[in-house]
Amino acid sequence: MSTTEETPHAHIVRMQAVSKLYMQGKITVTALDRVTLEVDEGDFAALCGPSGSGKSTLLNLVGGLDEPSEGRIWLENRDLAEYSRSQVARVRRDRIGFVFQAYNLVPVMTAYENAEFVLRLQSVPDAERHERVMAVLQEVGLDGLEHRRPDEMSGGQQQRVAIARAIVTRPAIVLADEPTANVDSVTADAILDLMQKLNREEGITFLFSTHDQRLMARTHRLIYMRDGRIERDDIRR
Amino acid sequence: MIRLAWRNLWRNRRRTLITAFSIGFGVLLAVTFTGTGDYAYTNMIDAGASMGYGHVTIEPVGYNRTPTLDKRIGDSAALRADALSQPDVRDAIVRILGQGMFATASNSIGGSFLGVDPASETPAWSLLLRSLVRGNMLRDRDGSGVIIGSKMADHLNLDLGKKLVYTTTDASGEIVSEAARVRGIFHTGINEVDNAFVMLPIDRLRHVLGYRKGEATMVAIMLRDQRRARRVRNALQRRIGNGVAVLDWRQTQPDLAGIINIDRSSNYISQLLIGLLIAAGILNTLLMSVLERTREFGIMMAVGMSPGQLFRLIMTESFWLACIGLLMGTVITAPWYWYLATYGIDFSGSIGHDYSAGGVLIDPVFHIRLFAESIVAILAGLFTLAILAGLYPAWRAGRIPPVESLKAL
Repeated sequence: MSTTEETPHAHIVRMQAVSKLYMQGKITVTALDRVTLEVDEGDFAALCGPSGSGKSTLLNLVGGLDEPSEGRIWLENRDLAEYSRSQVARVRRDRIGFVFQAYNLVPVMTAYENAEFVLRLQSVPDAERHERVMAVLQEVGLDGLEHRRPDEMSGGQQQRVAIARAIVTRPAIVLADEPTANVDSVTADAILDLMQKLNREEGITFLFSTHDQRLMARTHRLIYMRDGRIERDDIRR
Repeated sequence: MIRLAWRNLWRNRRRTLITAFSIGFGVLLAVTFTGTGDYAYTNMIDAGASMGYGHVTIEPVGYNRTPTLDKRIGDSAALRADALSQPDVRDAIVRILGQGMFATASNSIGGSFLGVDPASETPAWSLLLRSLVRGNMLRDRDGSGVIIGSKMADHLNLDLGKKLVYTTTDASGEIVSEAARVRGIFHTGINEVDNAFVMLPIDRLRHVLGYRKGEATMVAIMLRDQRRARRVRNALQRRIGNGVAVLDWRQTQPDLAGIINIDRSSNYISQLLIGLLIAAGILNTLLMSVLERTREFGIMMAVGMSPGQLFRLIMTESFWLACIGLLMGTVITAPWYWYLATYGIDFSGSIGHDYSAGGVLIDPVFHIRLFAESIVAILAGLFTLAILAGLYPAWRAGRIPPVESLKAL
């Protein structure tokens, strides 16, 4: 388990004794319980475990979508607690890519515009933006479909757009919450091939949450979670 | 962001159109209310001006408070020339206004007289001349003619060619009398005027009052646009100095000014209430639209949109909604405005032809006319309301934590 504070690897993510408590009516639910974890640069790691084990909560905390009740989270050696809401948004925009189970594309935007959206937020100049979007759509196998809206695409195609959107900024890490859960097995394989290729060839770090055995089989590292805790952390480099 | 906001607006076409229509309807109501005011107030002020004082009046200091005939201006011709030098002035007329008793062998009545130069007076600047129903205008400045109101003629049993004796105090406070023959009878429809107003030749009146040539109680100034009254008054006062008083119609006709102020205030309150109703509609639309897209906003924030950018997106939607609404308002209001401005609606059946307020006759035909500044005020006001209505939904959208937004259906 790579849970020590000092390691020879460059840590993209470091969590130290992180807990997340929710109120469900009058009952306090512990979604994460003093989790300590490090994700290294170039990792292709999966969080696995039963529903309610804390996988999505962990991804949300790492991505700055939620705030821990206790503990600290560093992203590229900067404590997320030091950032304002706007600064966290900027970190997400520039350093994190998200892929969601339900694709979560903006319905009024075409594939091109969804992939372009983050670059627009970054105020990337028009010509460069166009070049990068076209390149990333080709990379995910969507060239020719750039003018389609989400409701004109299959689930697999939508997930590819989501991946394109996640990687177009060349983030430090892609956080993917059950990315293959809503697609058929052929599409799931294609998506996994794509992610693996991006990890291998471009060194993008991936952290998944998944129940998918095929995805688990492809990762270098499997982090088993149960009841908000890390039960086991298998590294298979 | 501008394009995205535009597209977002058309995701629920019906709701957007209904809200835009409510803004448009607001434009129609605001134009109707404001246009009625602009038209009616201008008419009342112009009518008031033509009853004697003009839009701006040059008169002796203190005459407005105590209008006695010992107070007079000396070189009225020079003051008239000063007035005519102002670009906003269309005409300036020298007059003498005073109080007196008017009697025949059978009866007498108190009232006001207006000494006029027949050569200077035109129906455009004189309500009494406009309302002449029998006889003719006075012939010369030193004649013995008099023009009286229809009610006074009835009361004193007078007719054309009959003799009337008027009694007043002269410049030195002595009681003086003079006889005159009725040359014309006017009927304005305003009881106070028809019952107690006469028009006399100015030089004959000067003689009776002991005024020297050129002396008068006022120079009544007629403007091209009544809205310039205050500006002209100030400019003239600076030019002439403090030896005489320069007053605008609000000061010479405080009753009329009061009525207009009250009416304008109630008009503003009505428009404010309408505006609030419209703002509530816009707020509802944008809030619904924000609540429906909570998850989408979560996605946008997850991929890096800041709360500030989200705020700007919703505000841009609000901007577009306001633009569509104002455009729709212009389209639906234009024919309505054209009809009322051109033909109007005749209410003489219910209020008659002789309805007056503040001593001024009200036009029974409901017309509208909108000043340029009113158009700007209406568009800017409704636009601002629409933008303000977007503030809360925009603020709210940015306040929802991304993780909560993503959980929304």
